[in-house]
Amino acid sequence: MKGSHRTALLFLLPSFIFVAVFSLFPIFESFRLSFYRLILTLPWLGEKMVGWQNYADLWQDPVAIESLFTTLIFVGVTIPLELLFGLGIALVLNEAFHGRGLLRAVVLVPWAIPTVVSSQMWRFIFNDRYGLINFIFFGGDVSRYLAPLADPHLALIAIMAAEIWKTTPFAALILLAGLQSIPDDLYEAASIDGATAWQKFRHVTLPLLRPALLLALLFRTIDSLRVFDLVFVMTQGGPADTTNVLQFYGYKKTFAEGMIGYGSAIAVAVFLMSLIFSLAYLRFMKTRDHEGMTR
Amino acid sequence: MAHAKKFLFCVISFFYCNAAPTVAQNTEIRFVSWKAEAPKVWDQAIADFERQNPGIKVVREIGPQSSTQIHDLLSQKLKNRDSRLDVFFMDTIWPAEFASAGWALPLDRYFPAAEQYKFLPAPISANQYRGQIFGVPLFIDAGVLYYRKDLLEKYGFAPPRLWPELVEQAKTILAGEQSMQLVGFSGQFKQYEGLVCNMMEYILSGGGALWDEKRMTSALDQPAALEAVRFVRDRIIGEISHRGVLSYEEPESLVLFTQGRAIFHRNWPYAWTIANDPANSKIAGKVGIAPLPSFAGAKGAAALGGWQLGVSRFSMKPDLAWRFVAFMTSEKIQKRIGLATGRAPTRTALYDDPELAGKMPQLGSLLETFKQAVPRPRTPVYVPLSNIMQRYFSSVLALPNTDIKKRAALAARDMDRLLDLLREKQMP
Repeated sequence: MKGSHRTALLFLLPSFIFVAVFSLFPIFESFRLSFYRLILTLPWLGEKMVGWQNYADLWQDPVAIESLFTTLIFVGVTIPLELLFGLGIALVLNEAFHGRGLLRAVVLVPWAIPTVVSSQMWRFIFNDRYGLINFIFFGGDVSRYLAPLADPHLALIAIMAAEIWKTTPFAALILLAGLQSIPDDLYEAASIDGATAWQKFRHVTLPLLRPALLLALLFRTIDSLRVFDLVFVMTQGGPADTTNVLQFYGYKKTFAEGMIGYGSAIAVAVFLMSLIFSLAYLRFMKTRDHEGMTR
Repeated sequence: MAHAKKFLFCVISFFYCNAAPTVAQNTEIRFVSWKAEAPKVWDQAIADFERQNPGIKVVREIGPQSSTQIHDLLSQKLKNRDSRLDVFFMDTIWPAEFASAGWALPLDRYFPAAEQYKFLPAPISANQYRGQIFGVPLFIDAGVLYYRKDLLEKYGFAPPRLWPELVEQAKTILAGEQSMQLVGFSGQFKQYEGLVCNMMEYILSGGGALWDEKRMTSALDQPAALEAVRFVRDRIIGEISHRGVLSYEEPESLVLFTQGRAIFHRNWPYAWTIANDPANSKIAGKVGIAPLPSFAGAKGAAALGGWQLGVSRFSMKPDLAWRFVAFMTSEKIQKRIGLATGRAPTRTALYDDPELAGKMPQLGSLLETFKQAVPRPRTPVYVPLSNIMQRYFSSVLALPNTDIKKRAALAARDMDRLLDLLREKQMP
């Protein structure tokens, strides 16, 4: 018994080392650095321990607070829409029809394209002179053309549209897997009891889909709190800072400005936010499972 | 001093003794650049260098095109003291930062004052930090005004000398042409580094400044600076341009001009070659070039730009690296690159070169602009300073109802706080 235990540990070791080197160490290091004032371009100031100063500064930094709100709006708007559209797509793809296999593959395309490439594509689509969006809405009437990426009221909406387009397939994929795990005989039983399509959806599909929904919600929240590449390619945080999401702000502080301590504090804040969201969801999933069992 | 020299001698001889046998085999110099417009000229120059220096191989690492992104790449490598990096490109605004961070090697011993005099003064001063020189200028850039010669002639206008004059001319032409497609002005007003260049030209040509270099405090909240920003918002963008320019960097704004859809255009000298190339431009031969206008009672100002070559302090073979830098910035190579790409050289002598003048007729008129071009603040905290300015400019331009004075005061406070860091302890 002991021997097999040791063997098991031995097999676990590689992945443990991997996680330690590429995940635990950087997280720990970010935590450590966030308590220092370390500015790469001013090395003579040294690496000075400043306690919670970076966090206090962060709390009073109007740019950071605005950027937090921008991020929360981004998460709050994109995720419900992604799940809604994803559910619609999943329901369609769950039906049996001719060419379903092909369609299932095609739906995944937006998700499979590297974000940097699709961001570039959306930048063209939203272009103020030759963009597709303007052409669809206004045709040849150039005088009414909008410049979504130049307009502080539209830029974030444009980025959210690109994000929804890109990640809806992911939500659809998870929800489709959830739909397929629902046994057919439940629907048969419901039909015999005379349930309408809506009643079947409301009382059979939705409750049994809850774990898949929560899982999609969890993945999407963690992922979209860290939105970066769309902003990097499409707007660089502008205009007027209206698309300056937290991760982009942290990147600018750390890599462009060399403010390692302050940038780490931003990274830690984003990390803690996703951690809290994840724990809350996991909790929610557990209690729901538990309820389901006792019922 | 004697000690330092002795030490230096030891270090050099150490490297020399170690390097000498390997030179006979294959010694690599690693060079990080962006993707050049005319890669063939670069390949050829590097091949020539390798032929003249048998045993040395130049490995070129092509980085991203954008200045901000190549800055990230280089600072990552230098922060990690990567010894596999010998020579790199530097934007005009980096030498102070790279010097202060201890990333760029001081080049005084290779690049003495007598040699520096052969270059234009503005880019040389951009490469100096605390009495030492950290880079050799390769190209020079400065903001210039392009205009549609045909349209200005049609309406009997001479190139504008004052900003309000430019706005009036544009309005007359726009009213006369009655074209939906035409705008009066295209420049770079996206929230990025180019925004600072564009805005500083208005502010300086109205007698204002971005900062007070002696007192090391922001000057954005001074009346002249506020007035210039208000002018750009209400008259340039509000009256003769369109809001799309708020998302434009150089390429997008240039396309608008070369498609014949803009009367006036602010850009760097490289745009001349493209705007006059019939394959890329609908207005080839109809393009005029002039110094940027000013406000009444002040002198026009052009932001200094351009690229330099620097040597990494972590290079194991600084002498060879220098040999490469000296070769690439030599008269011969600068001329070759100029002929192929239209990039303006930094060596004064080349402005009298007939062959170059034949290919780039605008060079003569650019010389005055280059001599007077103004560098952006030379400080190790330039990048964060620039981010504060970008945020301020973009906010007041994109949101026409914001209180410019209040925003400027906030930006000035942030800049001052940052500059205070420099006072905390003097560099040893």
